[in-house]
Amino acid sequence: MRLLQLWAFGFCHLLFMNTSDSEEDSYNERSALVQCESPTIPSYNQDHDMSLPQETDTKRRRPVSSGLDEPGPVERERASTPDGEEEELTLKYGAKHVIMLFIPVTLCMVVVVATIKSVSFYTEKTSQRLIYTPFEEDPNSVGQRLLNSLLNTMVMISVIVVMTIILVVLYKYRCYKFIHGWLILSSLMLLFWFSFMYLGEVFKTYNVAMDYPTLVMIIWNFGVVGMICIHWKGPLRLQQAYLIVISALMALIFIKYLPEWSAWVILGAISIYDLIAVLCPKGPLRMLVETAQERNEPIFPALIYSSAMVWMVGMADSSNPDSADERQRNEGGALAQEGVESEDDATQGGRRRYSAEEDLEEDRGVKLGLGDFIFYSVLVGKAATTGGDWNTTLACFVAILIGLCLTLLLLAIFKKALPALPISITFGLVFYFSTDNLVRPFMDSLAAHQYYI
Amino acid sequence: MNLERIPNEEKLSLSRRYYLGGFAFLPFLWLVNVLWFFREAFLKPTYTEQPQIKSYVKKSALGLIVWVAVLTTWITIFQHFRAQWGEVGDYLSFTIPLGTA
Repeated sequence: MRLLQLWAFGFCHLLFMNTSDSEEDSYNERSALVQCESPTIPSYNQDHDMSLPQETDTKRRRPVSSGLDEPGPVERERASTPDGEEEELTLKYGAKHVIMLFIPVTLCMVVVVATIKSVSFYTEKTSQRLIYTPFEEDPNSVGQRLLNSLLNTMVMISVIVVMTIILVVLYKYRCYKFIHGWLILSSLMLLFWFSFMYLGEVFKTYNVAMDYPTLVMIIWNFGVVGMICIHWKGPLRLQQAYLIVISALMALIFIKYLPEWSAWVILGAISIYDLIAVLCPKGPLRMLVETAQERNEPIFPALIYSSAMVWMVGMADSSNPDSADERQRNEGGALAQEGVESEDDATQGGRRRYSAEEDLEEDRGVKLGLGDFIFYSVLVGKAATTGGDWNTTLACFVAILIGLCLTLLLLAIFKKALPALPISITFGLVFYFSTDNLVRPFMDSLAAHQYYI
Repeated sequence: MNLERIPNEEKLSLSRRYYLGGFAFLPFLWLVNVLWFFREAFLKPTYTEQPQIKSYVKKSALGLIVWVAVLTTWITIFQHFRAQWGEVGDYLSFTIPLGTA
């Protein structure tokens, strides 16, 4: 059973990764597209997962970036039409959207940390590993361990790169059905298999008797409604909830199956890769975006989290196909991404798209890729696993949120696709290692000496 | 997806699909139907498709109540008699609680 699980998991992972690549690309492309098409609308892509919302509205000069940005002055400097009203709206929306992203990211991390702390399954080290991290970490020799974790990282990153390239190729040759099928397969795996495992472990932890008929009903309902909400149409809140749950599940799998040191090195490497893939001219993500822009196509439903509804008041469906698409995408665009995909996406340096609606109603949705969710949660989850106490976990959590704010700020400044991972992960890693090694012993000895500061 | 933005016919079709889909052993889908379309069906001013949406919501609610009753009954029976059923109980169980010595 375990072997089968591992094999299936690895296989699915492969699938997922592929899928996520495609998704990412599509996403990224989308975002980029929107930017070009509507110069007034800065679409920031953060994390490949997020790309998607394509704003094709060109009219709106809305300083979208401003919206994302918290600080007003930044916006003022940049805004092309510094209306007082626009600035005000920008400020108003900026803070609001940052908060709109904080909440899902926080929820995902809370779910992951709560599970880690209560269900011991996810912290038990097994000899099983993903096929992507074939080298075993030997706890006896530091040098050997470091070497193996570096090798693991290289394997994983190269798998991700290959997948991304495959995705770009698939997209270039218009194999949309293939990509769609992959996505669906990935989300099926995540919604059914991983949640089944998760539920089983939770029941075992709490010593609850569960019978197969009820379990089948639960998993069946959860999975099917999830597929419907994510890939088709469903209430926004439910869609968001499913995406958060899916990201948490994927993050938990990573936390369980990635070896200790490899996980940290992989996190760092993926942020670097994200940076490269999004910002370099020859990066796969950038190429994907350019291709999508050339074709002026809507991106297939990607796994991105959409935090708000985008209103298109006054715009009929037929009047502006782009807007309709955009709207559609925004509305139903948040698809749950397979964990792997998200991961890939994350590495791809998804971007966050901020679509500016041209309409009277201003309620922009902020979209964030699922890969970002996953990797943030992996970092915080690992801090909860190995950190020992809550100081480290909280420090990492705060670090990631700060990184997110800064990324949004940068998006507002640069108004182009930026990767969401690097800043947050860097801060997270720095905070984790410094808290673990500096703050914790300090707090411990303060407590030991009963000295309160 | 925001219900405000789509035309009434689409709302009706969506509600109908959710209602029909629930027959595939999906009471959760019926629950989503009820919660999502409740405001549309009962709290909004009347429009052409509203009576039909209302009927779908009511039928979904009915189906949901039936399913909840069935599941509650089964779960109660199972939890109560699981130990007494011996082998059958174990066969039906996904997780068996560990006893205390």
